Amino acid sequence: MNAVTQIAVPSPVRRETPAAVAISIRKLNKFYGGFQALRDIDLEVGQGEIVILCGPSGSGKSSLIRCINHLEQHNSGTIRVNGTELTHKASDVAQVRRQLGMVFQGFNLFPHMTVLANCTFALRLALRLPAAEANDIAREYLARVNVQDQAAKYPSELSGGQQQRVAIARALCLKPSIMLFDEPTSALDPESVGSVLRIMEDLAATGITMVCVTHEMGFARRVADRCVFMEKGEIVEEGTSDRFFSAPSTARLKAFLQQVL
Amino acid sequence: MPEMGFVQQLGIGALMTIKVAVLSYLLALAIGTAFALVTLRRRLVVGFIWQVYASIFTGVPSLLVAFLFFYAGSGIVASLASLVGLTVTVDISPFAAAVAALGMVYGAYLADLIRSAIQNVPPGQFEAAKVLLVPQPATWLLVILPQVLRLALPGMTNMWIVVMKDTALISLIGLKEIMAYAKLASGVTKEPFIYYVLASVFFLGMTWLTYFVSRRIESWSERGYKPVVKQEPAHAL
Repeated sequence: MNAVTQIAVPSPVRRETPAAVAISIRKLNKFYGGFQALRDIDLEVGQGEIVILCGPSGSGKSSLIRCINHLEQHNSGTIRVNGTELTHKASDVAQVRRQLGMVFQGFNLFPHMTVLANCTFALRLALRLPAAEANDIAREYLARVNVQDQAAKYPSELSGGQQQRVAIARALCLKPSIMLFDEPTSALDPESVGSVLRIMEDLAATGITMVCVTHEMGFARRVADRCVFMEKGEIVEEGTSDRFFSAPSTARLKAFLQQVL
Repeated sequence: MPEMGFVQQLGIGALMTIKVAVLSYLLALAIGTAFALVTLRRRLVVGFIWQVYASIFTGVPSLLVAFLFFYAGSGIVASLASLVGLTVTVDISPFAAAVAALGMVYGAYLADLIRSAIQNVPPGQFEAAKVLLVPQPATWLLVILPQVLRLALPGMTNMWIVVMKDTALISLIGLKEIMAYAKLASGVTKEPFIYYVLASVFFLGMTWLTYFVSRRIESWSERGYKPVVKQEPAHAL
């Protein structure tokens, strides 16, 4: 298979053809030992599109998102990010990761570094920017997520919501064109969830591409261009957020929505 | 009253004790770190070598290891060298035998300590560094090591005290450290109590100095972590 034919395959459920494809996944399979976590996944994400992945736990949503930035190695199938095919070669992995920002469920901030140092770390070590320039960029993004006043503090001194916003700022500092969110609000108390979701909504409005695993159905409805429902390692149904929530076509999605809404 | 000449000798011995202890500990740290890193991933050959090494050096008393190195060391080196076709004759000094023995024995203990500390760093830290494109050496040095240090410091402090105290045994292979001079002085002056007490005071002083310094380092390594219940370091053995 070559690049051209892959991208040209039309996705039947897409409401409109996006200008360009940001992420293209074809026949993706992922095994953990004998357990198949992902089964023949086909997914295309257009540039600027907001795609929400949802489904019961163990359905493979996180595995899928982690395969995209090679935190998990896929066993077969292809993943293309902005045209670069993700192989297991270090140079390909680096080139793909350069396009992606990742936000984890558990924040994964560096606990021994201040908030500012967390944000400048990659700028200085991966992009080799001088300290002053890195600080400027970091402060800009910290202000965008409303934690500029906490720059000198350590992560443990912040609330969960603030920590997750720092994590978002840290990812944005590298100016990725695609943001991946792996259940960004699942580890947060209900009060903090709102602050993080607001930041993500603001971010969605900037035209960045987003793939987000979440259980926040209200957020999905408001923000998503497209929702994807997964179960047992397969994509069961996908559609525009209107149709997804108001007129689900599969029984499994209907049952799922009844439980979570 | 202790005679100044003997006290001076005790001082020289104390310096030797510190020298042996520091060098042994550095060797143990190097061996421990190396084994910790290569045994992180389960590989058959490396795992086997580590098992053999660990069972020998944690199973045989350190004094016996020192005796073996001191009396059989030149033979061991010569036969190892002959394997690669070299003829080597070396004299193993008590100093070299002591450093090698203590370093290799406590390297085995430190390896377990350091490995478990690395394994206790949350995997998310590695993942965060990866997705931020931080090069591997920088990740280990600036992300993982500080967190490993925080987890391993209490155990490493204890190990240092044990190594230091174990140097007292090594006087038996003829190393002129504080214990040897204390023995000499008490034999000559027939006042064993004074000199052994002086030697004990030296070790006590070193131990207190260690606790003082280690508390400083520990509170530095815990920057950024919420102050939990402050715990006094447990006394070694």
